[in-house]
Amino acid sequence: MLYFNKKKLFNLYEGAIISEEEEGEEKMKKFVRLSFLMSFCLLFVLGCLTGNAESAGKLQEVLSRGKLIVGTGSTNVPWHTKNNSGQYEGMDIDMGKILARGLFGDETKVEFVEQAPDQRIPNLLADKVDICLQFMTITPARAQQIAFTVPYYTEGIGLILSPKSQYKKYDDLVNAVKGGKKVTIAILQNADAANNVQRMVPGSKDDQYENQGLVYQAVTSGRADAGAVDLSSIKWLASKQPDLYVDSGFGFNPQLYGGGVKPDEQEWLNYVNTVFIDCMAGSTYELYNTAYAKWFGEALPIPAIGKPLMYR
Amino acid sequence: MRYFWNFNIVFAQIDLLLNGLLLGLLLAVASLMIGVLLGLFMAFLATSKHLWLRVVSRFYVTLLRNTPLLVLIFIVYFGLPDIYVRLGKNESFVFALSLYAGAYMTEVFRAGLEAIPKGIIEAGQAIGLTPLQICWNIQLPIMFKNVLPSLGNYLISLFKDTSLAASITIPELTYSAKKINTLTFRVFEVWLVTAALYIVACYLMAFILRRVERRFAIQ
Repeated sequence: MLYFNKKKLFNLYEGAIISEEEEGEEKMKKFVRLSFLMSFCLLFVLGCLTGNAESAGKLQEVLSRGKLIVGTGSTNVPWHTKNNSGQYEGMDIDMGKILARGLFGDETKVEFVEQAPDQRIPNLLADKVDICLQFMTITPARAQQIAFTVPYYTEGIGLILSPKSQYKKYDDLVNAVKGGKKVTIAILQNADAANNVQRMVPGSKDDQYENQGLVYQAVTSGRADAGAVDLSSIKWLASKQPDLYVDSGFGFNPQLYGGGVKPDEQEWLNYVNTVFIDCMAGSTYELYNTAYAKWFGEALPIPAIGKPLMYR
Repeated sequence: MRYFWNFNIVFAQIDLLLNGLLLGLLLAVASLMIGVLLGLFMAFLATSKHLWLRVVSRFYVTLLRNTPLLVLIFIVYFGLPDIYVRLGKNESFVFALSLYAGAYMTEVFRAGLEAIPKGIIEAGQAIGLTPLQICWNIQLPIMFKNVLPSLGNYLISLFKDTSLAASITIPELTYSAKKINTLTFRVFEVWLVTAALYIVACYLMAFILRRVERRFAIQ
């Protein structure tokens, strides 16, 4: 009869006994394993270095390619989403179209590449996209890694609630924490996330999700008591889907949204800045004003004649 | 392109990464244990004489094995609260991962059971063992020896799957890496160190498992 040898089980961690003839083979195996690991590391490093070839400059590269490649997302209204026919739309998208119109006189000559927020900097550095237009907050730390264009919007953070939630407005959340309750705030993973949550609702717990869509999921499924997201998104969602989202009436923390480009591409950066400034304060103002009215529901005035808008 | 490497920033927070690694291991081991039990149960159903038991097992395997793990995690974490089943973060993840692991284990164990020569079982019957004794003393020991290599494989695979727990904000290795990323923007350095940690952990696991296999190999 066969037995399951329990004694052997207990001897397990004492290590296998290797006979002498096996030893040579063992050394060979070790060598093969080691060289395998080494070559893996080498490949890794080589992979990191190959993106370094010098080119004739980004502006010329884009022009001769005949289309602009924009890194963006698809999960954040009203910045970048996909409509029912699969087309990208939103304020970031319109900024990309404005840039394409400046480059080629044709706003359709632009390709949008979808990327997660944490891929924004790596994709620029790896030259996968020409510019990142993905509600990117300008921060001094980020500016050490990539170059920012002039800002095209000032955003703030607010708190979004579910109508099913026991908390109906901002004060309810603060009072709940004071009353010793555990309040969880969902927020997009980013540099200031933990800080910002503490500034909004002191003593609450932050759950940092990797994309904005999951933050909304957490709110609607009750995994979080509130979601800390951009005010522009809250206003948009609370007006379009009042059965799912409620504005808590809280807002703070101004931050600038700008495009991101690879560092060391001064000519390209200057070009993008020129186009952006022109559409916000110059001859192409209608492009920006139209987009702004569409996504933020507010009609901007025509830039006044005289001293340029931004110096007033 | 110029890039200045700076690994110190990452090493300053290495404890965050190591804790994440440990949590990932715990999640993987917990899921493996539940998955093995589930897989065993379903494998016996799959090799049962009754058609409906086989159908139950097949249904489970087909459903779970063909669902992406991330989708499963989201269903358990975000979906179940809608029907008033609210598990904690870690519990949700282990639940999803064990269900997923169980489906693969079922197939592994089924193959292990089917590989047992009929003659041995008949020999057991001939000396008058009850079905339970045959299962405990004959089928299980032989099957475990048969499937040990694939079990080891799945443990490593499950450990790497724990990186998906980052999506529901469980602070395992990948999540911690992302967190350091967003704080320092040292993307290359952080992911290189993280990859190295995964490689070392998986390699150690494979090494130990190889020893175990050798110990239990059928002579």
